Amino acid sequence: MTDDKDVLRDVWFGRIPTCFTLYQDEITEREAEPYYLLLPRISYLTLVTDKVKKHFQKVMRQEEVSEIWFEYEGTPLKWHYPIGLLFDLHASNTALPWSITVHFKNFPEKDLLHCHSKDVIEAHFMACIKEADALKHKSQVINEMQKKDHKQLWMGLQNDKFEQFWAINRKLMEYPPEDNGFRYIPFRIYQATTERPFIQKLFRPIASGGQLHTLGDLLKDVCPSAISPEDGEQKTQVMIHGIEPMLETPIQWLSEHMSYPDNFLHISIIPRPTD
Amino acid sequence: IPCSMAGEEDFFLEEKRFKQHCEEFVKHSQQIGDGWEWRTSKDLGDGYLSKTHFQVRNRHIPPDLKEKTDDNIEQTLLAHVEESLDDSQVAGVCTTEEVIRYEYHVLYSSSYQVPVLYFRACFLDGRPLTLEEIWRSVHACYQDRLQEGPWDTITQQEHPILGQPFFVLHPCRTNEFMSAVLTGPWKHKRHKNYIILWLSTVGPVVGLNLSLSYAKVAPEQNSSTVPA
Repeated sequence: MTDDKDVLRDVWFGRIPTCFTLYQDEITEREAEPYYLLLPRISYLTLVTDKVKKHFQKVMRQEEVSEIWFEYEGTPLKWHYPIGLLFDLHASNTALPWSITVHFKNFPEKDLLHCHSKDVIEAHFMACIKEADALKHKSQVINEMQKKDHKQLWMGLQNDKFEQFWAINRKLMEYPPEDNGFRYIPFRIYQATTERPFIQKLFRPIASGGQLHTLGDLLKDVCPSAISPEDGEQKTQVMIHGIEPMLETPIQWLSEHMSYPDNFLHISIIPRPTD
Repeated sequence: IPCSMAGEEDFFLEEKRFKQHCEEFVKHSQQIGDGWEWRTSKDLGDGYLSKTHFQVRNRHIPPDLKEKTDDNIEQTLLAHVEESLDDSQVAGVCTTEEVIRYEYHVLYSSSYQVPVLYFRACFLDGRPLTLEEIWRSVHACYQDRLQEGPWDTITQQEHPILGQPFFVLHPCRTNEFMSAVLTGPWKHKRHKNYIILWLSTVGPVVGLNLSLSYAKVAPEQNSSTVPA
């Protein structure tokens, strides 16, 4: 039991060393030094980069600054995806630190959602939690909570307070004693190569005979190309929080222990490095 | 019954039924030529309804109002072309006619088991409308509900099939009002097309109206039930 709780902490406190560099075409009054930061895997770019913004705005004129946005090797980074997901999906097999380019102009309207205030992040985060509970509990648990409980989930994330967050979140991880798991598992599978941003389907954690479905069962059902045939070479990696869980892992356990704070399992399918 | 019931109060639309009702919907749309079509995604075979239309808006900026504005808020009154001004007003008003291109998509949410309305809007020069402009353009009779909880009503989200930013009318309360429509004294309405019932209710909030002829659409298998 202690081991399982450790997983919750390891997931919460995961960090990615990142180097932020100002885009070369931005107009500055002095040279802009890169800014180094340890990013929480479980948070969102626009929630944790106030210091980055301040650092670069110091060398820029007010009129040259509009909405900040981030890019990695030409790809605009979706702030509404958790940081750990973005890293796993785009940069997991490259050398650290993760090099992100910072922009203050030419916001890519066709690719990125706007994020003018923390309210936008909170609304997005809470919408994800509500959707996850619709899948797990037909929204019964989240709807029974008071507004202050919802606020506590957000404040816990915003202020990096594990205990504060989990005091409420543990209720979202419970299920009736007569069941052996959630109604459906909240998950999304991402592949950088597809136009479709992610795959999300209804998937039950328990089979009709009562057996626990595994990660492998989920992939076979929803994204069979991710698991290549036994005789062939495994061309892809299945990554969650920077690790490759065994395909035999029960999906119910993964949902309870390796979901992001939004209560979703965000799974990346990436090319296996060929070194 | 075309829709499945999960408990007395719950009214969920299964994905198969969603597709069937959309098919029916498109058939009628083709008959009356109002532009709806079904788009299938290449990879997974799911799909959505789609329609594009243009709206002309008149921007009246009376000079005295300009002085009253807050520094940060641009006062934009969106008025219909029919509105007339008397001579004294005409002299001071600058009118810009703007054409806005609206694109509406109806997708299925497996999480909430309801349809969801996605939309985006831009001026002809390509400039997209901001969330604030969209909130301002919500029909007057829905503004109270919007002010109560703007973040629960219309927000910007990623389109789950195209991956691009769209505005979305939140689905979590759809079940509430659809249950009210489809149970109780309106039980006979259950044979009707869910998409038509739903879209005729939520569409007007964001400027999307359906021709009254849709009210007459009934599923082909419904020969034994007599509509009231």
